[in-house]
Amino acid sequence: MQNFITIISQILEKVLMFAMLAIVLTVTWQVFSRFILQSPSSYTEELARFILIWIGILGAAYAYKTKAHLGLDIFVDRMAPPAKRKTRIVIEIMVIIFAMSVMVYGGTLLVTMNIELKQTSAALGLNMGLVYSAIPLSGVLITIFGCNNIVQLLNNDVANNNVSKGEM
Amino acid sequence: MDMTAIVLLVSFFILLFLNVPVSICIGLATLLSLVMHMDFTPAATTIAQQMAGGIDSFALLAIPFFILSGLVMGQGGIAKRLIECAMALIGSLPGGLALVNVMSCMLFGAISGSAVAATSAIGSFMVPEMKKHGYSAEFGAAVTASAATTGMLIPPSNILIIYAIASGGVSIAALFVAGYLPGILVGLALMTVCSLYAIKHKYPVSARLPLSVTLEKVLAALPSLLLVFIVIGGIIGGIFTATEAGAVAVLYALALSVGIYKEIKVDQLPALFLKACETTAIVMLIIGASSAMSWLLSYTHIPQTISEFFLMLSDNPLVVLLLINLILIVVGAFIDMTPAVLIFTPIFLPVAEQLGMSPIQFGIMIVLNLSIGLVSPPVGSVLFVSCAVAKTSIHKIIKPMLPLYAVMFLVLMLVTYVPAISEALPRFFGLIG
Repeated sequence: MQNFITIISQILEKVLMFAMLAIVLTVTWQVFSRFILQSPSSYTEELARFILIWIGILGAAYAYKTKAHLGLDIFVDRMAPPAKRKTRIVIEIMVIIFAMSVMVYGGTLLVTMNIELKQTSAALGLNMGLVYSAIPLSGVLITIFGCNNIVQLLNNDVANNNVSKGEM
Repeated sequence: MDMTAIVLLVSFFILLFLNVPVSICIGLATLLSLVMHMDFTPAATTIAQQMAGGIDSFALLAIPFFILSGLVMGQGGIAKRLIECAMALIGSLPGGLALVNVMSCMLFGAISGSAVAATSAIGSFMVPEMKKHGYSAEFGAAVTASAATTGMLIPPSNILIIYAIASGGVSIAALFVAGYLPGILVGLALMTVCSLYAIKHKYPVSARLPLSVTLEKVLAALPSLLLVFIVIGGIIGGIFTATEAGAVAVLYALALSVGIYKEIKVDQLPALFLKACETTAIVMLIIGASSAMSWLLSYTHIPQTISEFFLMLSDNPLVVLLLINLILIVVGAFIDMTPAVLIFTPIFLPVAEQLGMSPIQFGIMIVLNLSIGLVSPPVGSVLFVSCAVAKTSIHKIIKPMLPLYAVMFLVLMLVTYVPAISEALPRFFGLIG
């Protein structure tokens, strides 16, 4: 199980690093093509927007794994360890409920709807279902990470880290 | 108020107090309220659609770029040069080191958009330096934290981009220019407190540096400050959009820290990219979830209900605006700035516009107001980072913070009731009518 988690989070990290590099290069190319080549590129803006959706949605799964999401920890921090552990399990379940219902279920419907209706983007002609497929994918990853967190919480007596932290 | 609003509010706060990530709180509360109006399947699909749609914006692309350039500048030796420049310019005034701290935070804010980055980059150098010269760690931490918030107003500023989206299309260029005067006003107000504090406690005043040294330090900081002219000049001059300016800022910061200062190695870059992805994703998930929530709000006409309620309480703009400010200060103490701007802009902006306030002025007001929340307990993120950097505790920092809160509130009142502070500069540059 732990090996599996490590492998998918390593792939996730690589994809995100590459996406960030790609987004910088895409917009740089847009500026370059307009000023130096005098022929503004027509597809860079759309491409960059789609990469941002992928960074935002897939990155959300990564930030969940690294426990970097913003939250209010003042009350949970004052709880006794057993209560804190139970609360943490409840939090993980809440996150999984959201990931399963909105991201996996709603997201999959959104993807299939766009594929069936052949909704394509204006410049690249990409099917929007493909763009939106980041949502169910991220939902599945969040569910996997969340289940893994619950297993660890059940095995461990001490609740070390909070699910989210108060820092940006 | 109707049932939907109550379900939305109650479920949001229960989840928030449980320490569920704030983006998930917004998403789940929206889902719960939406199933009161439609079946589960269309509700879940709508939220998924709104999440992706909310992120799908070219203007939002500026955010990962300013996050990445801020990370690079924090580690790339740029902060150090800004501090030395400020030291050479105002270090010999009464309370010199505290003033240098404020000015360095403002300069850092002028090239990056993150108050937390400014706090750790400037504070980790300035607080020990202030301690060495007899200032208390608490005072150093208080000054750093409050000064770092000026970066929220001084462009480039991610929160102003987020506000531009939340308000439904206020010009980012106009907002950026509008932020300068209020940001500088806050900085000057904080500096005044610092000087008075230093005179009262008879802190030593350092000698003036010879002119040649001053010039040398200013010159060393020029390449960093040149970024301001490229980014902001380019946006105001209409040469490029805020997003394109962000990409240029990333390249410039990389060229400076990797190529010229050589303080970041090429093999450190993937980790910086990943960190920028993480921070971007946190913000984007909040934006996506909030956009689903504001869809729900307008679907159920909640903003109109709240707007009517406020205007029923009083038709005096002075009273209503004060009330909005007080509510936002309480909100800001509990909820981070990004979700607070996204949640409360669609609710309060219509009220403010009814009272004749422009969306530009409202944007500056809400950001300045929530900046106070960034440095107030119980959850002020900047305050916590500052305490950690200064190795002091939240209990001790409150006393030196009090006069700083007072002047921040004073400037907030000025910004609320004097439109010219926010609107004069954008009008001068022809960015608003």
